[in-house]
Amino acid sequence: MSTLNLVHLQDELRRQGVLMCFSGPFSHSIIEELGKAVRHYLESAQVARSALMDVFAVYIEQAQNVSHYVCRQKAGVDQARLASSGIVVIAQEDRHCVISSGNLLDRADAPALTAQLERLRSLDKAGLKALYKEQMRQPLNPQGGAGLGLIDMARKSSAPLEYAFGAVDDRYVFFSLRVVI
Amino acid sequence: MDSLVIEASRSSPAIRFDAGIRRLSISGESYPENAAAFYAPVFAWLKTFLAGLEPRTAVRVNLEVLYLNSSSTKVMLNFLDLMEQAAQDGVLVTVNWRYDPDNEAILECGQDFSEELHALTFNLVEQPWEPQ
Repeated sequence: MSTLNLVHLQDELRRQGVLMCFSGPFSHSIIEELGKAVRHYLESAQVARSALMDVFAVYIEQAQNVSHYVCRQKAGVDQARLASSGIVVIAQEDRHCVISSGNLLDRADAPALTAQLERLRSLDKAGLKALYKEQMRQPLNPQGGAGLGLIDMARKSSAPLEYAFGAVDDRYVFFSLRVVI
Repeated sequence: MDSLVIEASRSSPAIRFDAGIRRLSISGESYPENAAAFYAPVFAWLKTFLAGLEPRTAVRVNLEVLYLNSSSTKVMLNFLDLMEQAAQDGVLVTVNWRYDPDNEAILECGQDFSEELHALTFNLVEQPWEPQ
């Protein structure tokens, strides 16, 4: 029988410490609902309020980044494929919460994103704060993006941001980002 | 001038701007789908209100936010910059930034803002969170 094996799937999620996972097209109401669920879960797990709000904040930035990136792409044959490539996962690793996100990314966008992430990885707390304040003064782009999300995540993360680009095809790579609270 | 009242939603704060008593309050969480669009009517109201103020009048701003996403942070700075400009023009502006001592990110956010503002009075006010 080749039906979906829920027990195996559940075992795998548990083995990887997954608390919450969403994979598919993000809408604003999905982002809101999952955020509410995450907060309830972390509250019931007695996670300190500051850590809880940091996890929530990183989740919101990641989910909105994925959703905005997909919306910015021109409507076309790949729109649905891009939209359904989004994923956000919140997992527990030892005593840390790890928030990871991924989506298909146009190969042309990879160099600029790499440069930005490498710059963030090279900065200490004071450097990140200075960069954040500088970026805070830049105008919002028409899609409502602030260019502040990655810097904000880097400030909240207890370790440098980790990222990877996985090969997909001639047009796209799969971008993934990992933030540890 | 009419007051501006916008009810809170899960991802947008309650806005209570009272022109009569010159008190502007924003409370709740802010991570709307498009921050610029959500706050556009707030800025339109504010600009008219500030244009009608005489120097030496007092304006109180009460900010009680639990969470701001990155684009809302930028919008909040724009809002505070307008209040700063009014203060430079002689309006007596007091901002109370209320924060829960258990929510460090919001205290840090208030500190980031306070470092950008000099003409207005910016108070960080500790206010423990009460579950609803």
